[in-house]
Amino acid sequence: MDSYLVAILTVAGIYLILALALNLQFGLTGLINFGVVGFYGLGAYASGIATETFHAPFLAGLLAALIIGAIAGALVALLSLRLSGDFLAIVTLGFAETIRLVFNNEDWLTHGPSGFIIVTRPVIAGLSRTATSWMVLGVILLAALLVLLLMMRLADTPYGRVLRAVREDDLVPATLGKNIFMYRLQAFVLGSAIMAGTGSLYAHYVQTITPDNFTTPVAILVWMSVIVGGAGNMKGTVLGALAVVFIYEGTRFIGPWLTMLDAEQISALRFIIIGVALILMIRFRPEGLLPEAYQRPAEAASRITPSKG
Amino acid sequence: MNITRRLFVTGSTIALATPALLRHGLAQSGPIKIGSLTPLTGGGAPYGPEKAKAHRAVVDLVNANGGVLGRKIEVIAEDSQTNPEAAVRAARKMIDADQVSAIIGTWASSETIGIMPLCQDANVVQLFSGSSDNLPDGDKKRLCFNLQPLNKAWCVALADLAAKRGYLKVGFAGPKNDFAASMGASFGKSLQAVGGQIVGEPLYYNPTQVSYRAEAEKLIASKAPALFLAGYVTDFTALYRELVRGGYTGKVFALSFAVGPDFKKAVGSAAEGILHGSPVPPVGKDSYDAYLRLVGVKPNGQIQFPYGCAAYDEINLLLLGMASAKSTEARALSDNIMKVANGPGERVTTFAEGAKLLAEGKSINYDGASSSADFLPNGMLKSRDFALYEIKGGEDVSILTTTSTAE
Repeated sequence: MDSYLVAILTVAGIYLILALALNLQFGLTGLINFGVVGFYGLGAYASGIATETFHAPFLAGLLAALIIGAIAGALVALLSLRLSGDFLAIVTLGFAETIRLVFNNEDWLTHGPSGFIIVTRPVIAGLSRTATSWMVLGVILLAALLVLLLMMRLADTPYGRVLRAVREDDLVPATLGKNIFMYRLQAFVLGSAIMAGTGSLYAHYVQTITPDNFTTPVAILVWMSVIVGGAGNMKGTVLGALAVVFIYEGTRFIGPWLTMLDAEQISALRFIIIGVALILMIRFRPEGLLPEAYQRPAEAASRITPSKG
Repeated sequence: MNITRRLFVTGSTIALATPALLRHGLAQSGPIKIGSLTPLTGGGAPYGPEKAKAHRAVVDLVNANGGVLGRKIEVIAEDSQTNPEAAVRAARKMIDADQVSAIIGTWASSETIGIMPLCQDANVVQLFSGSSDNLPDGDKKRLCFNLQPLNKAWCVALADLAAKRGYLKVGFAGPKNDFAASMGASFGKSLQAVGGQIVGEPLYYNPTQVSYRAEAEKLIASKAPALFLAGYVTDFTALYRELVRGGYTGKVFALSFAVGPDFKKAVGSAAEGILHGSPVPPVGKDSYDAYLRLVGVKPNGQIQFPYGCAAYDEINLLLLGMASAKSTEARALSDNIMKVANGPGERVTTFAEGAKLLAEGKSINYDGASSSADFLPNGMLKSRDFALYEIKGGEDVSILTTTSTAE
């Protein structure tokens, strides 16, 4: 194993957590959040400001990110959740762009375009370069594992079933007396808080954040992970995030074999490969690598009422 | 369920193993590896390709003549996408998978600063072209060399011109990015030094706006007799249009790359009278012509490939530094780059000339295609030619070329 692999796994872990949070919002609940980077960036800056400007420890920074992410999620949701699908998509996209502009222009808080430098690391200071990178990877994989377990548990509970019902047809759970708005709000807030928490991990990993780190292409990668993996299936999201990051990074290695192309053409070719892979995926397996398990009504019912004794 | 789990485990194992396998397949001990990280897409796309080509051309030539220290040079080219996030991922691959000794060619200050912590951490030398005044701050180990003068140097020349033309009160506007943001502050200082001052607050705008109506109105309302607009082509063109439509009649100062042929075509005769300037390669100098011929272009007395010539100097300095250090180890390499760049020694303009003299035990002083390539102790460029122009009859008329010196 070499340190490049460690670095790529760390990045994959970060995308994985983002994708899991999006899978909660989109895959389970059907909320279209194009503003992933808004919450992600908010968490990164919140954590950076807490640890650098206010000299708080890393965990306090992470906590600040989670809280700010939850508050922002609640505000965005309250503004737009009553409006369905497309409207939420536009509002979240606008939110992400607004947040990025705030980062770029409020120099006193974020140092604007010259970037915010973060010294605090999520691990013990003073270790060697290799040891530090392994430990950061450990922290991020641990976080990914916790989020994955939480999400898988959530998806299996009656609560998760209501979320799926809201996604499929919100009239049905509403008829059963469920408060649709509260379910949507909770799913959105939880997802947003996790995205912000991921931002905190990312900020302390890369150590320099600029507003350019939080542009929409990052959100597209996260969306690709969810769609390629299979929306609604948490294990699928794991597979999807890994697949997307490894296609994205793996295509770098085609260069040496294509000596007749110059750097510019190879760079373009990489994006062509990534785009074609995505199109083929959508064309031939739109449900994703691991589709959400289909539960037949009878089967589902027998699981809801387990036979005791 | 079993199949799913098996598929999951197999899939992830293959995915995890791929880079390691690829790396083993590609691992070689022989050649010296150099990372060429240029903006081939995004905002730097007009300039990245010429930088990548210059690196490639010099390395091909050097390899054809036996390489450096008896080893071949291998260029690992990656696209920075003019985005620090993508640049960092590319730099990680270069540093950790390819184990390059240097990363050269970054263009936007944000990407250079973004990869700096990684390079410092792994002892990797950086040569780049950038103008943000923040560039020297992160270079704690003194491993960075910049082939472009910092903003401070640009502003001195422009402020001098403004004062000479009698414009002592100048308004400032520019996109909110690392480059223009530090330019506003620097320009204010330079203007004060010649007895002038900025009108009001420097105005920063978001460079991807659809309309600049509000900005233009604000600038007109400030009643500044002259404006310095530090924008790039796209935003400058849009903002200038709004200014003209709004009836602004004062003088406009700009940066040369914003008022190229595209701009002149877009606004037509409205471009008349704009004063602009930028760092320029020494047109007509032997080293600049040698670079142009190497990349297959005929010197025509005009500025061609304004960033490619800096890239040519990046790679030449790096390779000469290696030949002089007889090593690719970062500390020795960095010290020797400084030595071959600043001299004292015999003047050389190509790697071949320099390597020959170094082999004879002589010291050299590299004279570059973009500038004389002399550095301050912090690795920033000492001086570079700076040309000022006025647009007359749709043509750039040269006013003067000065050598701008850093403080």
